[in-house]
Amino acid sequence: MHFNSGACNGCDIEVVALLTPRYDVERFGIKLEPSPRHADVLLTTGAVTRQCTERLKRIYEQMPEPKFVVAIGACACSGGVFKGNYNVMDGVDKVIPVNAYIPGCPPKPEAIIDGVVKLLNSLKEAKTNGGK
Amino acid sequence: MVLDLWFIFRVLVFPGFTFLLSLTMFCDWVERKIEARMQNRVGPKFTGPAGILQPFADFLKLLTKEDIVPRGAKSTVFKLAPIVAFSIVVFALSFLPIDGAAVISNSSFAGDLIVIMALLTIANFLLFLSGWASANPYGTIGAARVLTQFLGYDIPLFLLALAPAFLAGSLSIAAIAASQYLPFVLLAPWAFVLFIVALQAELEKDPFDIPHAESEVVGGLETEYCGRKLAFLHLTRDVQIVFGAALVVELFLGGPYGPVFFGFPAFWYSLWFVLKLLAVIIISEYLTCLFARLRIDQVLSANWKMLLPLSVLSLALTIALVTWVYPLVV
Repeated sequence: MHFNSGACNGCDIEVVALLTPRYDVERFGIKLEPSPRHADVLLTTGAVTRQCTERLKRIYEQMPEPKFVVAIGACACSGGVFKGNYNVMDGVDKVIPVNAYIPGCPPKPEAIIDGVVKLLNSLKEAKTNGGK
Repeated sequence: MVLDLWFIFRVLVFPGFTFLLSLTMFCDWVERKIEARMQNRVGPKFTGPAGILQPFADFLKLLTKEDIVPRGAKSTVFKLAPIVAFSIVVFALSFLPIDGAAVISNSSFAGDLIVIMALLTIANFLLFLSGWASANPYGTIGAARVLTQFLGYDIPLFLLALAPAFLAGSLSIAAIAASQYLPFVLLAPWAFVLFIVALQAELEKDPFDIPHAESEVVGGLETEYCGRKLAFLHLTRDVQIVFGAALVVELFLGGPYGPVFFGFPAFWYSLWFVLKLLAVIIISEYLTCLFARLRIDQVLSANWKMLLPLSVLSLALTIALVTWVYPLVV
């Protein structure tokens, strides 16, 4: 699932590039889902504008457990160049819990795949340590 | 009747539930691979050898997810519809002769073709109900589209399924499959082509996949579903695809029958069945990748103005040939 919370579309293009023949994340069984009810991972781009906050929260709450959030791009991680602006929340983690941060402006598709693999590995570690 | 072990084995393991389920998962994998290759991608690759376990992994993952019922949903229908739809399709599949006999031996009777077509319709109607009960605008639109589309395509599908019945002179699936010394696809190729087209619409595949067009209605009737119920909706869809392909195999491609080289005929019959099934799946998936989605009004006008008259014409042609021409040739 992919949600744009006020990004400039740079990161979104990189997310869409993941589905193209060059990167093809379906190799790992990852698909873009249209509905939050079907999603496991929420990819969020953008610095989260105040108007988006409620929507972002609601979409997060609509996802079934277990769910994970990945913040993609400098804006989603910390607010980026918009940090401190009057109309943004300075990053996704101010609104919902984030499991993985992928910085970059925009991050390369390779970086996004790497971030997802790191998220998967952290899940494995959590499992061996007994629970989350 | 005394329950014997052989009966239980046939229903639960081969060619019953377990076999059909693994066949469904395998066909799902084949479809995803073909789609990916057509789009110049690789497709599932890392789960099991060449990603063959990916559908199974997806299914297990959905089973472990949280189960949410939205507040406004009709909870009984919402919960039951996917499971009942799934069991109806599996039940319909068990009437088809897979290894030379139907799953439940001696279950074949005159007219079971009509029964399984009716079961397919009921399963589609349950899918509509599942969307309708989910209290979501997208789900409702998707469900209404399912109903609009399948009301239109059910009639041509029935008419076209009658062509092999006339050629075999029987309404029993087993008799139709057994009477094809020459596969009916050679005797009535027009009916075969039209049947594939109608089936694409019935199974909601491209170019007729408007009920779950992601760019318009999010997930269609599946929008509110998650966890186990979504797993069963997906499984219903996949089993329906297998069922449709199996129907084509039984009606047009000579059923499970083929050359038996050595050993058990049952083994060879199942092998031929699976091979023919895969051929149909590949044709249908090829069409899916090839065509863009139509609009709902285009689908409806194509159905009522073209497919329905064509299927009546095909039936008339088949009956005429069966009555006057084929008795002279065969």
